[in-house]
Formats: sequence, structure tokens, C-alpha cells
Amino acid sequence: MSRILVVDDEPQILMAVRRALAARGYDVVTAADGEDALAEAEASVPDLVVLDLHLPGIDGMEVCRRLRTWTRVPILILSVREDEAGKVTALDLGADDYLTKPFGVDELMARIRALQRRTLSRSEMSPKFETGGVTVDLESKRVVRQGRNAHLTRTEWALLEVFAEHPGKLLTHRWLLARVWGAGYENDVEVLRVFVSQLRRKVEPDPGKPVFIVTDPGVGYRWAVEPVADTPARSTG
Amino acid sequence: MGSVKERVRAPRGLVGGGKLAFGTMNANPERVSAASMLRLMRPRRARREALAYVVSVAGTAALVSGFLPFRDDVEPLTKAFGFLLVVVVTAAIGGIWPGVFASVLGFVAFNFFFLPPYDTFAIGKPEYVVVLFVNLGLSVLISVLIGRASERASAAEAHEAELRTLQGLSRELVVRGPGTDTYREIVALVLDTFGYESGALFVRDAANVGGLREEVSVGCDPGAIVPEWDPRSPERAPERLPLSVGSNNVGLLVLKGSRAALTDAESRILRAFGDQLALVLERDRLLRVATDAEVYRQTERLRQTLLAAVSHDLRSPLAAIKASVTDLLADDLEHKPADRREALEAIDAESERLNALIANLLDMSRIEAGVLQAHTEAVDVGDVIATSVYNVGRVWPHVRVHERLQDGLLARADPVFLDRIITNLLDNAARSSKGASEVEVATRRNDGVVTIRVIDHGKGIAPEARELMFQPFYELDRRNPRLGSGLGLAIAKGFVAAMDGEIWVEDTPGGGATFAVAVPAAGASA
Repeated sequence: MSRILVVDDEPQILMAVRRALAARGYDVVTAADGEDALAEAEASVPDLVVLDLHLPGIDGMEVCRRLRTWTRVPILILSVREDEAGKVTALDLGADDYLTKPFGVDELMARIRALQRRTLSRSEMSPKFETGGVTVDLESKRVVRQGRNAHLTRTEWALLEVFAEHPGKLLTHRWLLARVWGAGYENDVEVLRVFVSQLRRKVEPDPGKPVFIVTDPGVGYRWAVEPVADTPARSTG
Repeated sequence: MGSVKERVRAPRGLVGGGKLAFGTMNANPERVSAASMLRLMRPRRARREALAYVVSVAGTAALVSGFLPFRDDVEPLTKAFGFLLVVVVTAAIGGIWPGVFASVLGFVAFNFFFLPPYDTFAIGKPEYVVVLFVNLGLSVLISVLIGRASERASAAEAHEAELRTLQGLSRELVVRGPGTDTYREIVALVLDTFGYESGALFVRDAANVGGLREEVSVGCDPGAIVPEWDPRSPERAPERLPLSVGSNNVGLLVLKGSRAALTDAESRILRAFGDQLALVLERDRLLRVATDAEVYRQTERLRQTLLAAVSHDLRSPLAAIKASVTDLLADDLEHKPADRREALEAIDAESERLNALIANLLDMSRIEAGVLQAHTEAVDVGDVIATSVYNVGRVWPHVRVHERLQDGLLARADPVFLDRIITNLLDNAARSSKGASEVEVATRRNDGVVTIRVIDHGKGIAPEARELMFQPFYELDRRNPRLGSGLGLAIAKGFVAAMDGEIWVEDTPGGGATFAVAVPAAGASA
């Protein structure tokens, strides 16, 4: 049974989320402020953290930063519409995804499952993706689209690999730029936009309706395709 | 002369001695004497010249009559030096031309009365001619030297007076803060200094491009002086001093009076002062612009924070409702009856919370708009408290409210207001006692006043916050904005005030806060 730490200073939200998650078989621990959250994360070692950004005392962004100094546990941010900047900062700091309040339990469950699959797939490290007649194989460094090999430049490959290594995770502009282009390029969002659209032309079954690299407006991009599940040799080896 | 200098100098020690005199009327003696000296300079000079002519004639006459009986016993040179003395004194008093006049007068008198042959202009010995003309030359030379020296001295004096006048005016400009009163005093000062009867200061009107607006008028009714001047008008032309900074016209100073036209020196001072006044007007205008911008920024920030807080407080119950509803709607699992019940109760409580918040926002806007009208009647306090406790119980199901009420207590109050007050106080108490969910309500009647106390056992309230916490949005935190109880307490205070009651906070014995509301009692004393 996986354990989820839910952090929110509104008791009524905490109770509703706890009830919904418990009913679906999760072991739920809760915290009402940043300090409690950090202590609980160490004490109960959750498999996933649902973290509200607005907390009294240590806020959600700081909790995120401190958690990332010692754990890779998936973090799902809860934010409100007005808090675009805080959300992006938390994602920059290593949060995995976000959900805007008010949210439905179905959405919450979908995000939680996606993040958990990602943790699993990371351990299995399956580097192959297939969708809409396109195969992306990281191991053999090949992209086959409509039966033909697509030719990617070095930067395009680097970008593709970063995406595919983090399936389901929302990657912010700054994070992608720093990772692929290096420190000092974090603000060149235009460059990133150009390369993403080039990559989509070579990778997406229909570049006008992307399914591999999906845009989250104002925040970043997400690799939305699940890795091919069966690579028994690797998972056992 | 000496006495004038004294008057000028005396206050200088006072003014120069420190900030004491700045911006006060202590600076005035210096200003007035410097200015009056400037004004006196011309008439005084004419008077002195006249005096010098009188002295030269009288001196010469005295010498002639003094030496006449002994004119044979005295050496001609001695007599000549006597006339030289008259020339020196005359030149010292009246300058070059009286000096020259005295020289010629002495020359003529000396020749006529004292050079043999006497009583004619004929000259007996050739060496007398030399003595005579050397004496004349010497006299004129001395007159010129002394006259020039004294002219320089008085020019320097006039210049100093000019500077002091200007300095006095400028200091008034600098030490006073912006504002109409300052401008009024400045204009009054200019009128006083230059001897005008009335004046008006016009400034460029921001609303009316290129137009001028009267800022102040002194010595006449507002609007009596207009910025425009028609040269065909039969009236005397006023002194019009345009005020500009660079090529930017910032205003106009118009001065009216019966005094003579300005002298060059006065005109120089007035123009220099006008330049400074223009700079001050411009400074004040920029200051106003900056202040307006700052006020706007502050208001905008409060508005933003308020909006964030309202949105947070509205969205939190909504988030809980949505989570519970979607949980119940999900068909992927069968809910246990207990869970289903709990979820429905949560939805009910959150809907109630939303409703209460919206009621509070409406109440607050009514209080802020000042349209609150209490409809007081004899109200059963116990009934109202029962309603409030029921309402609060729906929002805070886990909080237990203990009632310690006197029976049949009647208050003269607006029942709706009283309910809103008690509900908000209970809500506040429930909020601040979080873990320890015990809240008490107590009532009592004393001296025609009904006091209702809402008692919690939470953290209590710091003494310095006791007044402030009744301000709307007292708790508003920019980093973590939410309305919290700040709105509720401000509303309680607004309603209490509308019923002529009182509200205050005291310590709960053993820890926590007690909010007390006092309203007039109704009916017979119990």
C-alpha cells in the first residue's frame, strides 16, 4: 500500500482529500504547515507528497526545496489560478506536477497514478516509446516515423532524451534550458520554443496535435507518452 | 549711517547662530532692514549731496570770516590748507561733485580775500599763481579720490543689501514646506519687501493645458487680479513676473501697487527670486506627482492582496466541496455509508462557510459604504445566541459551545445585527481554539447594560493587537493572503457601533481571549 503525505493548512480540504484517498486504498498522513510537512516526510517516508503552496510559516516552495535536498519522492503541487509564479518556482525547485484548486478527485487520482508509474518506470528504465506509428528508442538512438528514420541534430537528441527520461513530469522552461543548454541560458525561452517545434516535426505523428511533447502554457512541457512496459531483461537484471 | 549698519547687523548673529530662526519670523528684522536700506539708498544719497554743498559753502564762509581779521598775520599756505580741509570734508560727505564745487569755491575765495592785492581777483606775485593753482589741483584730486572711494563703498553696501534681500526671500522659500499657506506667505513677503499693495501667484494648471490657475492672492479678493494684462487699460501696468524652469513655464507672479517702477537693482532681485520660486513650484509639483503615485501604489497593493484573500477564502470551501462531491460521484468504488455521510456533512459545512463568507463580504461593504441602519427593538438575547450557536455549529461541527446565560434577558438591539455579531465572535473563537474546541458564551445584565461574552481558550491576544484587530483586514498578510477572522471582527465592531454599543477584548483567566459586547438593556431589570 503506498503512503501519501497530504500538506494543506485548510483542515476541510485536508479532510476531504484524506477521505477520498483512504477510500481508494492509500495510507494517508497529513500535515497542516511547512514544518510539520518536513518532519512528517522524514518520519513516515511517503511514496508521494501532495503539497499546497500557501502554508503558514515555511511555505510550499521552501518545503519543496528542502525535500529535494534529500529525497526524489514525487511532489504534486496544489496551487490556485492566481499563483502562476509560485507554481513555476516550485516546479523549478523540483516538484513534479501541479493541480489547480478546486480539483476533482478523479483528476487528483490521475495525477497521482501518473507520478507513481513514473517512479516505477524510472526503476525499470525502459527507454522505448510507441504511439501513432512513431517509435522512439533511446537505447538504439533511433526515431522511426512513418516507417522512416528521422534525423535529429545533436541538440534535438539531447532535448528528446531529457524529455523521455522524465515521462509524465512537467518540465519548466528554465529547467529544460539549464539542463540542455547549460547555466546562463535559463531565460532563452524563445530558443526552447524553436527547438521544441523542430523536434515535434520529426517526432510527433501529427505535429499540429502533439502527443509526445505537450505544452503546459506559461509553465513548460511534458512528455506525455508512457514507456513500453515490457523489458523483463532490464527489470530483473 | 552707523545706525543703519547696526540695524542691519544686529540680527545676523541671531540668524547665523543656528536653525533657531529658520522659518520663523525671527528672520524678519534682517530682511526688512536690508530691504528698507535698499529703498532708502537713493533719497539718502541726494540728501547727502545737498548737505555737502551746504557744508562747503558754510565752511568756506566760516574760514573767510575767521581768517579775515588776521589776513595779514597768517601765511597764505596756512589759509590754503584751511580751504583744503573744507574740500576733504565736503568730498567725504557728498562725493566728487560737491568736492569739486568746494575746490572751486575755495579757489575763488582764497584768491579774492587772501591773496594780495585783497578784494580783487588780481594776483600780486607770480609765485602766488603757483600756490593758487597747485592748491586747486590738489583739492580737485582729493575730491575725486575721496568721492570714488565712497561711491565704491556705497555700491558695495547696496550690493550687499541686494544679496541679503534675496537671501532672506530664498530662505523663506526653502525652509517652508509645500502648500498654499507657504505660497501665501511668500507672496506677502514679496509685497512687503518691494512695497506693492496686492499680488497673486498663478501656477500652470495640469488639467487645463497651457492655462494658469490662481494659487493664492494677497491684499485683494481672489480673482481680482487676472494673469492677462491689457496694455490699453487705463490702470497702471502691474509688475508681471513669468516663472519658468528651463523652457517650461510653471507660473506667473503679478504684483500691483502705487509704487514707482522698479529700479535696476530691485528688478534684478525680483527676477532672481522669481527663478527660485519657479524651481520651488516645480519641486512641489513633482512632489505631488510622486505622492499621488505612492498612494496609488499602496491602494493598488491592498486591493491586490484583498482580492487574493477573497479568492482564497472563497476557493478553499469550494475546493473541499468539489473534492467531496467528485469523490462521491466516482463510480470506481463503493463508498462505505459512514464515509458517504461524512462527505455529505463536509459539503454541508463548507456550503455554510461559503454562505457566511459571502454574508460577511456584503456586510463589510455596507459598513464601508456607511449605509448601515440599525432597527432596534427589545430582543431576547438567549434566542439570538441559540440561533448563532446553531449556525456556527454547522460550520465548525467539532466545536462545542457551552452556554451560561441569564434567563429572559432583553436587550435593545437589532436582532439581525446581534446575530451577525455573535456568529462572527463564535466563529472567531472556534477558529482560534483549533485543538481545544471548547467555547463559552455568557450573558449578564448590569446597570441597564447587557454584556455578552464569547470566551475561548486559545492562544489569547497580545495587548498591542487589541485595538488593531478590529480594523478590517487586520490579519491580511501579503505573502499568505486570507481574510480569516479579521473581516468578522471588523463587521462585529461596525454593527456594534451602529447600535451604540461597545465591543472590546479581555484575557480569559487561564489563557485565551474573551470578546465582550455591551448593548443597552430593554424591559424591567431582572
